[in-house]
Amino acid sequence: MECNLKSGAGYDLLELSGEVDLQYSPQLREKILGSLRSGAPLLIDLGRVSYIDSSGIASLVEGFQAAKSAKLPYGLLNISSTALQVLTLTRLDKIFNLYTDAAHFEAQL
Amino acid sequence: MACNHTLLHLQFPACAEHMAVVRQKLREILSAHGQPADETNSVVLAVGEACMNIIQHAYGPDDRGDIVLEVELENGTAGEARSELIFRLTDFASRKTCAEQLKSRPLDEIRPGGLGCFIMQQVMDEVKLLNCDKPGINVLQLRKKVQT
Repeated sequence: MECNLKSGAGYDLLELSGEVDLQYSPQLREKILGSLRSGAPLLIDLGRVSYIDSSGIASLVEGFQAAKSAKLPYGLLNISSTALQVLTLTRLDKIFNLYTDAAHFEAQL
Repeated sequence: MACNHTLLHLQFPACAEHMAVVRQKLREILSAHGQPADETNSVVLAVGEACMNIIQHAYGPDDRGDIVLEVELENGTAGEARSELIFRLTDFASRKTCAEQLKSRPLDEIRPGGLGCFIMQQVMDEVKLLNCDKPGINVLQLRKKVQT
């Protein structure tokens, strides 16, 4: 997994790529919670995620809850087909705010 | 009469660092047997979740050991277009796995964790702990009907 956090434009953009599994989900969790602790809205780009398991999904859910508590906008961008398959299977596609264009997230800030 | 073919027999240390290689092996054998990409992805996910359960809950942080993954293709009787893939995962953890641990939690609780068993149950046609007489051995069997 590669995890690249970009700040600016009024929010943080976290770009993920590769396989997000038990080996890397603690790192993802730290990146997400660290960003939210700084008080920035967070958009997570899943466009290049080739695999994500329940531990990776758990990190995304934990971020969702932390953002909700802090009243910060939080969304998922460009969901890859494999990631969407897992979100749909676990019915979380109805819970997260999903975006195909960062401009739609920015419009809500 | 049904006929079983062994597709994979793999023994590996129960730790997260080995899972990428295991998933790659699974993808290769499933693709080689003509499984569509979507089906392959979901089956690899479910078997990965089963391995993760063993790593996190059977061995846990204080125990170490291996996982043996066996994959078999059970061909249907003559004239049947359906076969079954059988995934058998054996661990040697001192902690005995019980059926209660394979129950999934309600999905309307939005909280991190606890989705692994739900994914296994959703993807597979059967998720079952096999009775094992020997102490210190847990065997989990997953079955999935496939088109051949």
